[in-house]
Amino acid sequence: MWIYEKRLQYPVKITKTCPKTAQLIISQYGGPDGELSASMRYLSQRYTMPLKTVGGLLTDIGTEELAHMEIICAMVYQLTKNMDIEDARTAGFDAYYIDHTAGIWPQAASSMPFTAKEFQSKGDAVTDLTEDLAAEQKARTVYDNLLRMIEDPEVREPLKFLRAREIVHFQRFGEALEKTKEKLNGNNFYYFNPEFDKNMVWE
Amino acid sequence: MKMQDSHLAIASVPFQRWGELYALDEVLNTGTVFKDLDLPFFAAADMQASRRVTGEIMKSSREQECSRKMTEIQKVSFVMDDLRLYLDTHPDDPDALAMLKRVVCKRKQMLSEFAAEFYPLTFECMADIYEKDASSMCYCWQEGPAPWEGVCC
Repeated sequence: MWIYEKRLQYPVKITKTCPKTAQLIISQYGGPDGELSASMRYLSQRYTMPLKTVGGLLTDIGTEELAHMEIICAMVYQLTKNMDIEDARTAGFDAYYIDHTAGIWPQAASSMPFTAKEFQSKGDAVTDLTEDLAAEQKARTVYDNLLRMIEDPEVREPLKFLRAREIVHFQRFGEALEKTKEKLNGNNFYYFNPEFDKNMVWE
Repeated sequence: MKMQDSHLAIASVPFQRWGELYALDEVLNTGTVFKDLDLPFFAAADMQASRRVTGEIMKSSREQECSRKMTEIQKVSFVMDDLRLYLDTHPDDPDALAMLKRVVCKRKQMLSEFAAEFYPLTFECMADIYEKDASSMCYCWQEGPAPWEGVCC
């Protein structure tokens, strides 16, 4: 069950049409390290987490990622809602325009469509949490790259906010991994898989 | 949490300890309430003052009030979001819990006031409207601008 709240987690108010910028930041909607991918990763992994509190953390972060997806989509929408055909042509947005007009569709900056191939749900707590740590770092790097390239402060401010969240989430996944390690065999964390070998020692 | 340096071949992240916090007016700019987790990128250091000033002049006083109250809700809600994740991994932290209690109660009240004055942000807020006026014929869930329009923010 989810409940919608009719507001953005961080305000987006972009006054200058710029399809070129939209084409770059859309990567954080449907790209390999985007918010949709992040959300689906965490919301998929949570079911089989051996620690209930880690499953809960994945639910909460996966939910926040949906709010981040909405922020990115709001930015793409506002950057393109008033574009004319010349804007689309000169900004290199012409291919997207042909396929989607000004509709919002999950793809990477490279135009590759959103795909579940970009994330894993491996059924092993240490493996999945290690992937989650890496996922937050990859997303941070994307935001770093976007911040080097984009100058409009109305676009930069939400990107800075989203970047900061990646670092906080990294910290929380690190803590979740520590909590999981506490419950494993301290001499050998890889002696069994706590998500599958349920009859092995697991307090 | 003591660091166990005997563990090879696995990632380790130290547990965060409760520390200094940012003021409510700063949290959206920093992206976290925790000063210890505010680790900005060098290429992102620039002015934030010029932001959202241009559009404000065009707004009516009611729209300005709506934006102001929305911003306050966003700040308090974001503190709640950040505290929730902290408490997910620190469920026994008394400082975080005390702060959460204040924040969730304040947020509930702000959402209720916003619904009465402007439009409901959650479906739950519809109850606040009907409790105040049982004869209300207002199905106001679809009132107010869509969040992505950037009107009330």
